[in-house]
Amino acid sequence: MNKEMRDLAAWSIETAKSAGADDCRVEIGRSRSVEISYRERKPENIKEASTRGLSIEVFAGGRYSSQSTSDLRKESLQTFISTAVAMTKLLAKDPYRTLPDPKYYLGRPELDLQIVDPTYDQLTPEDRHNMVKAIEDSCLRAGGEKAVSVTALEKDGHGESVTLTSNGFEGYSESTEYGAGADMTVRDENDRRPEGGFGATVVARKAMPRPEEIGAIAAKRALDLLGAKKIKTETLPIIVENRSAPRLLSGLLSAMSGWSIQQKRSFLADKKGQRIAGQRLTLIDDPLLVGGLGSRLYDGDGFPAKKRTMIESGVLNDFYVDWYYSRKLGWEPTTGGPSNLIIPPGKRSVGEIMKDLGRGIFITGFLGGNSNSTTGDSSLGIIGKLFEKGEPVQSVAEMNIAFNHLEFWKSLAEAANDPWLYSSRLIPSLVFTDVVVSGV
Amino acid sequence: MGWYGLAGADKPDYFNAEFGVTDALCQKLLAEALSKGGDFADLYFEHAISNSIALEDGKVNRAYSNVALGVGIRTVKGDQVGYAFTQELTEKSMLAAASVAATITNGQAREVAGGFVGLKLENYYPLESLLTAVPLESKLPLVQAVNDKCFSRSPLVAKVSAGFHDEQKRILIVTSEGRKAEDLLPSNYLSASVAAEKDGKRETAFWNLGGRKDFSYYTPAVVDEVANAVVDRTIILFDAVQPPAGEIPVVLGPGVTGILLHEAIGHGMEADFNRKKTSTFCTMIGKQVAEPFVTILDDATNPNLPGSINVDDEGTPGQKTVLVDHGILASYMHDKISARHYKVDPTGNGRRESYQHYVMPRMRNTYMLAGQATPEDVIKSAGNGIYVQDVSNGQVNIGEGDFAFFVSRGRMIENGKLTAPIKDINIMGNGPKMLRNITMAANDLEMYRGGAGMCGKNGQSVPVGFGLPTVLVKSMTVGGVKAQGVRG
Repeated sequence: MNKEMRDLAAWSIETAKSAGADDCRVEIGRSRSVEISYRERKPENIKEASTRGLSIEVFAGGRYSSQSTSDLRKESLQTFISTAVAMTKLLAKDPYRTLPDPKYYLGRPELDLQIVDPTYDQLTPEDRHNMVKAIEDSCLRAGGEKAVSVTALEKDGHGESVTLTSNGFEGYSESTEYGAGADMTVRDENDRRPEGGFGATVVARKAMPRPEEIGAIAAKRALDLLGAKKIKTETLPIIVENRSAPRLLSGLLSAMSGWSIQQKRSFLADKKGQRIAGQRLTLIDDPLLVGGLGSRLYDGDGFPAKKRTMIESGVLNDFYVDWYYSRKLGWEPTTGGPSNLIIPPGKRSVGEIMKDLGRGIFITGFLGGNSNSTTGDSSLGIIGKLFEKGEPVQSVAEMNIAFNHLEFWKSLAEAANDPWLYSSRLIPSLVFTDVVVSGV
Repeated sequence: MGWYGLAGADKPDYFNAEFGVTDALCQKLLAEALSKGGDFADLYFEHAISNSIALEDGKVNRAYSNVALGVGIRTVKGDQVGYAFTQELTEKSMLAAASVAATITNGQAREVAGGFVGLKLENYYPLESLLTAVPLESKLPLVQAVNDKCFSRSPLVAKVSAGFHDEQKRILIVTSEGRKAEDLLPSNYLSASVAAEKDGKRETAFWNLGGRKDFSYYTPAVVDEVANAVVDRTIILFDAVQPPAGEIPVVLGPGVTGILLHEAIGHGMEADFNRKKTSTFCTMIGKQVAEPFVTILDDATNPNLPGSINVDDEGTPGQKTVLVDHGILASYMHDKISARHYKVDPTGNGRRESYQHYVMPRMRNTYMLAGQATPEDVIKSAGNGIYVQDVSNGQVNIGEGDFAFFVSRGRMIENGKLTAPIKDINIMGNGPKMLRNITMAANDLEMYRGGAGMCGKNGQSVPVGFGLPTVLVKSMTVGGVKAQGVRG
């Protein structure tokens, strides 16, 4: 716990209460980050940032507001907080808006999530530059004559935050994060210059792939886009690559929140306990995953973190319901939003699955599109590879898939054995049968 | 009772008056930023206040505000940028940030002349009063009225969320070339989102009106227009059908559909992508890219539109840039770095999200001039296709020029006539190919009148505007669910 931040949070609560607040929640955070990119073998951007901020949620006379500022001087804060309280009192009452019953704060797990890299402070500017140079170098080498432009990037950051409420919640969290990657633009026919790349985010430096590997994968992914065409509209099996699969999943998640259910914007509102997907879909929310990018000991309401199976063998088990919407809905709260999301991997590699399917499309990226959380209708642009007889034969672009989530997930046939390890969405490549892929 | 406001914001020399940012201090900071050489350096001071009130379940029962204060310091050498910012406007903190920015280069210190000359700027968004000075009591009834009007418009309305958002941003830019520019940017909108129910089905829609407006803009007529538009846009979706998938003619109705230009050509004409040769347009300047009736502009000077700016975020005055002149690709959108690269004048497109971000070439208000045809003629010429009315979002891959935009509302065109409504369809195309395929434009140019339009690039978000007359694109890929001939 950072004492200086904790003291300021406690002082802010006292200040708000003296100004007439009944209750409040204060969060104070600070972070430091560095970002370096290279192009044409020299630094393109070097950026350093230190931020700090305070946010305060005020509960006064049955009313609510939330305010934030980066000006943490006490004189400024005094005025800021008293204005916040006075302004809150002008709003309409909201009987559902309270701090949680403190009994819901109990039972916080005591374990080391290992989301702080103890070696963070040892990272030097030279280390950073050397890493980006090595990424750029390997990408340029692997790209060869087709490479038009390569940008290699490293960023890292360290942040901490303190949360305090007037009814007894106290939390501290600290984490580190490293990101590295490269994007390469390659020369194609007809003025087309596709850009492909690879990027990874990790909590601890030792989990980062080697820079040579990052550069080489980025180049390969860019070269893979060459010669893209649109093929004729057809019903085909698709494999959605692990790192792109979260985009599909977000269409389900947006309909699983207490807000969307209470506001009649969820196509899943009445589906709890029902089958909404194929047997193969199990979705686990695990905030306690050691070393996970979405790991946490408590959520935004201060509820203790708990592993939950949101969807089990295709059956919808649970929703994301925070304290406020639990009161509006008259339900028990769960947690306000996702932490680490896991779909258990299957046994076969993407290559083996392709061989089995024969012909289909391996989707490696989405372009535009949207998903409607009220109706479940979704339409997404796709890029990827057509495979025939189990082998990739043609890059595709300017094509689209459209579906309703309630039908679509029932056609989930298999999960591959390749969960994506570089985000809080640990999802393997997913296989769907009979999808209309529109093109010419 | 006021809200968070910018004290003395109507005064000139705001940052000096409020925070003691003198010319001498700026000179010292710029000297530190150029202490290891570099072509130029600049300081970007920002004090921004944003306030939002929101209604849910019939009452305006929540409010949010944010105060942002800081300075971003940049050192530029060729196309290399060193950047740092601080939220503490103390000399010590600012000097430390300047010395971090300086690390981009490693040469001889460069002198900075004092005596900064303030730019005289046009004002494209004059205000009678600051929105942050408008009492909360005056804003609450607007939002409540939108809610009440929505419910009285249709018995199918089940839920309404409404809100009023306003931001006032004070900026000061000081450059090592001796320029100084100050601006006050308002940004605001009144919005509503409706969920309706009919025969066990549900639909939702969103609408907003706003821009860089004075509070006097928000009359009862504007309240009515937001409420009527959002309810009508929701109700019609109950009758929507799915269009066929595949390549068909597309007619874009006037207004928000201008997002098509933003994605199909706008991003690809941002000069950073072209100097890096990563845009599909990088070899096309001076070439014919569209029919001679096609002229496309990117414009900072439209009164009160969301993308209008009196000065860009590196001190170049707001101006109008012709991207496509009678079918010929005329100019990229430049910031100072790309303008030096191409040896042209900057076009005033250097923008940033906040003091925490460095400048990039960005769009302002992007639109196409009106043509000669009537909208009816354009629809008739399409034969069988689709008509696009509302677009919610879009995306482009710069290098290929492949883009997509998401149609939240439209109609089928059958035998030259508008028929059944359609919804939730992604449309895809290729920028240069789409430009060549614009075969007709009507005489009804309309600018999008919302204030909530944001454009994202490299993690930075800035407000932008769009506009389009009714145009016919003879073929685009429509992402429907019915594969013609495969599934009924």
